[in-house]
Parts: sequence; C-alpha cells; structure tokens
Amino acid sequence: MTIPVLRINVLRINALPRRATAWLLSWALFAAGISAYFTVARARHIENPDDRVTPTLAQMAQAFADAALKAPDEEASSDAPQSLAARFANSMLWKDTEATGRRFLISVALLFPAVLLGLHMAMFPYTGAFFLRFVQFFDKIVALSLLPILFIAFGIDELAKIMLIVIGVTPTIILDVFNLSKSVPREQIVKGFTLGAGDLRITYGVVLKQIWPRVLNSIRLNLKSVMLFLFAGEMIASTDGLAYRIALLRRHMGMDTILPYVLWVALLLFLVDVGMSRINRWLHPWFEEA
Amino acid sequence: MIRIQNIHVDYGPASERKKILNGIDAEIEAGEFVSIVGRTGCGKSTLLRLILGAEKPSTGRVLIDCVERSQPDRECGYVPQKYSLFPDKTALDNVAFGPKVTSFRGPFTRLAPGRRARMREIRAEALEYLKHTGLNESDARKYPHQLSGGMQQRVAIAQALIMRPKILLMDEAFSALDPSTRADMQRLIKQLWRESGTTIVFVTHHTREAVCLGTRVIGLARNPAGGSSIAIDLSMAHIELDSGEHVLADAVRRIDAVHRNDAVHGSEDSPSQAAEYAVL
Repeated sequence: MTIPVLRINVLRINALPRRATAWLLSWALFAAGISAYFTVARARHIENPDDRVTPTLAQMAQAFADAALKAPDEEASSDAPQSLAARFANSMLWKDTEATGRRFLISVALLFPAVLLGLHMAMFPYTGAFFLRFVQFFDKIVALSLLPILFIAFGIDELAKIMLIVIGVTPTIILDVFNLSKSVPREQIVKGFTLGAGDLRITYGVVLKQIWPRVLNSIRLNLKSVMLFLFAGEMIASTDGLAYRIALLRRHMGMDTILPYVLWVALLLFLVDVGMSRINRWLHPWFEEA
Repeated sequence: MIRIQNIHVDYGPASERKKILNGIDAEIEAGEFVSIVGRTGCGKSTLLRLILGAEKPSTGRVLIDCVERSQPDRECGYVPQKYSLFPDKTALDNVAFGPKVTSFRGPFTRLAPGRRARMREIRAEALEYLKHTGLNESDARKYPHQLSGGMQQRVAIAQALIMRPKILLMDEAFSALDPSTRADMQRLIKQLWRESGTTIVFVTHHTREAVCLGTRVIGLARNPAGGSSIAIDLSMAHIELDSGEHVLADAVRRIDAVHRNDAVHGSEDSPSQAAEYAVL
C-alpha cells in the first residue's frame, strides 16, 4: 500500500496552483479573521451578555441598518412613511458618506495641478531648477505635524482639512510624476521634434500621454494616504463625515456602529480602487501594466 | 549638404574629462547614402546626434545647408534602434503623428475648420506609407507592443519618411533584428533611398552592413591623442546588396585593415579584440 505524499509547493517559484485552489486561498484569511472575531465575541458574550467591545453580527446588522435608514440624532425626522431610497438619502450613513466624499473629491481634484507641476518640472529645466529642491524638502515634512498650524492658519473649516491632504499627498505625486516624465526615453522626445512637434506638444502629446496611465496608478495608490489625512482632519475638527462619526461613537463605545463604518469605508475605497483600475485599462488598451 | 567642421566632444567634469570625438571634419552631399562604421563606444551615435541637433559639440559645428544645428527639427528624420515608436499610438497613428502636428497647430486643433477632411487625407497617406514599407491594414491598427521588432522598424521608417525629411538619420536601426529580417530591411531602405532621393546617414557597427548599404563609408577609429577621428572615408558606390561575395569581402577587408591598424596603434585594444574586429 502506498501512502499518498502531499507535495508542499508553498516555496516553489514554479508552482502552478489550480484556479479553485487560488480562489480558496484568496478568501482563507477573510474566513479566518471573521471566525476568530466571532469566536472571541461569542466567548465574551457568554461571560457578559452586555459586552460592547465585540458586538455580535445581529447587533452590528441592527446598528448598520439604523445608520443606513435613520436620520442622524441631531436632525428631526418626519414621521411620514418614506421609501427605502428616501430613508437612505436622509440617513446618518449617507450624510456622513456625502460629507467625506465631497472633501475626498475636492482633494483628488487638487492633485491634478500637482501632476502638471511634476510634468513641467521634468520637461522644462528652469521650472525643475526652481521647484525641485523645495518639493523634495517639503515632501519630508510630516503633514500631521502641521495640523495645529493649519487649524490656526485656516480655521477649523473645510479649507484646513483639504490643505492637510494637499500638503500630505501632493509632494509625493509631484515627485512621482517628475520621475515618470524623466523616465520617458530621450529618443521619443527627439523623435517628436523631428516630426514637427513643439515643446508643449511634446510635453502634453507625447510625454503626458505616455505616462498618464502610470500617473493614474500613482494617484490610485495614494488614495489611502488621502483618506488617512482626511480622517485625521475630520476626527479632530468636524461636525460631519465618516471619521467624525467614528470618533463620536468611540466616546460611547459604539463598536456595533464603528465596525460596520470601518468596513463601509474600506468597501468604498476598494470600489474606487477597482473602478480606477478598470477605467485605466479601458482608456489605455496599449498599457500593459494596467 | 551636411558640413561637419572640426568637431570635438568631451564629456564629464574637468578632473575626469573624457574625449569622445577628436577633430571630425566631413561633408555629405545631398542624396548620398553614408554609412558611419566603428566599434561600440567610438562615438558614432554621438556624431549622429550632433547632426540631428540633439547634442552640442564642445567645439566645432554642424551645418545643414549653411545653417548651424541648434535642436532637432523636421529637416532630419530619425530612426533609433530602440524606443522608435510612441507606445500609446497605433502604427497608423504613429505614422500620422507628424502630418497631424504640422497640419493643426494651436490650442484648439479639434475645432479647426476642415479638420475631418484633412484627417482623412492624413490617415490615407499614412496607410500608403505603411503599405510601402510592407505592412497591411491589420498591422496598421496594432500598437507597437503587438508588432515584431522588424515591423516596428518598418513603422518607424514610414513615420520618418512621411515628413519628407531632407536627411534621414538611422542609429543602429537594424541592430536588434534577426539576420533574415535585417536583410529584408536593408533591401527596403535601399529601395526607399533610391525612390525618395533623401540623404541617409546610417550608423552601424557591422562593417559588412555599412559596405552593402552606403554609397560611402566613413570609419571612425580611436585617435592616439584621445577620442575618435575619421580613419577612413571610402566611396562604395560600386557595391550593391547583391554584389558578389569577393567584392564585399574586399571592401570589408580594406576598412577592417584600417581599424586593425588603429587597434594596434591605439594600444587600448587587446590583440584578441583586434582579431575579432578583423573577421567582422
């Protein structure tokens, strides 16, 4: 009788996991994390039925439903029956998402001038000489350390939060675009001139077009930093937004709402990430790394 | 006419200055097909970039029709060995890029009157050029990464020729191709040169390729005083791609003899390098 030998392929570079195996592996850590959480939650609830640190699935579902279908406490809700969509539109979750989303979109929009600055710095030597050293230094400043200064200088309104994001993320984007533009082969630029293109046409029509998918990737990878700075700003000085709500609920030990909120933020960022990646691939079929 | 006058090129900081070209003087007549041959690192590509206007000499100057070169422009087409195509454009759009750029200038080109009709003409012309270099409509729709090395160079040649440049500068343009594709490309470029009458300056490190293609071969070799100088300037007008082996071998031998000599006198090359060069 032969004993079947399980071949361990984990450390083999040339291993070829089957599709089903790869799929199962990709979900394994999710399953492990969820199981571990509910095991701990069950044990804590057996010991203390009023435990608030590890809410049960039912408690979280109830809290999330309340957040998604009920108006915030601070607003008076009408007693008239409303459709599900209307209730969601008036809900705490939607209002917080809307407030955070608005700040997020403004911040992302403000990254585009940074892209142009990085491009110009790489393409035009005088612009590069003027800005590069300053941006390199600015990039080393820990943005969160500027938070008090920003609140003093710009007040505690939207501007301070958006400035925090701009200061935190734009130097990285500028330097990234600068390096991407510099990596375009010199031959392509010379070629552009021989085909009759001028300086601006080469900058925008040759270089920017070539690096654009990589720039979008760079912005996509920096979205987490954008959210990090945004959440820091909202947690410290805000009256709405997802991070404001999480900070507020922390004071009441509202883990049953905090956990779904954290997952909701992760889901939204994940969808933005996947969406940007798909759009990038669709817009640039020639880009092999997309 | 291209006039190269007493060109010297040095690189690096003053303490460790490296001489690349040392006193190059040459004249290339309109309509000539000149091959520049020499070892890797002898400054062939530098000389080509000086003609192109993409580099400035330390001393001396390059004139095209009595005008000094300051930066690359439409007068010179350019086909490098690598990165010759814009990766974000299809083969057709790569060829159409030049005519499009020169037809529509300014910030609002999409609103230019008659744009559509002109674009149709440009695309038709670009397709004609692609067909002339041996590609078909289906190839025209492909992106550079979907084309083989030989096809990419065909597109690059069409892209340069559609601008009807006075001079076509080719920098090791066929070096990365397999022997069979290389032979096809050599036939193609010779045919296009005959049809268009464009002056071609072709840089290569293959003596045989230089001899087969050029009506004249300029050989660069190390100068004992540093850098490279012109060691040989021979007319090859009597040689064709299909010339007999003995004719080719004789010409190659003559050029290599000069280089071999240079290798011995230059004292920087080992005897094995010199021997290797002799059998190229």
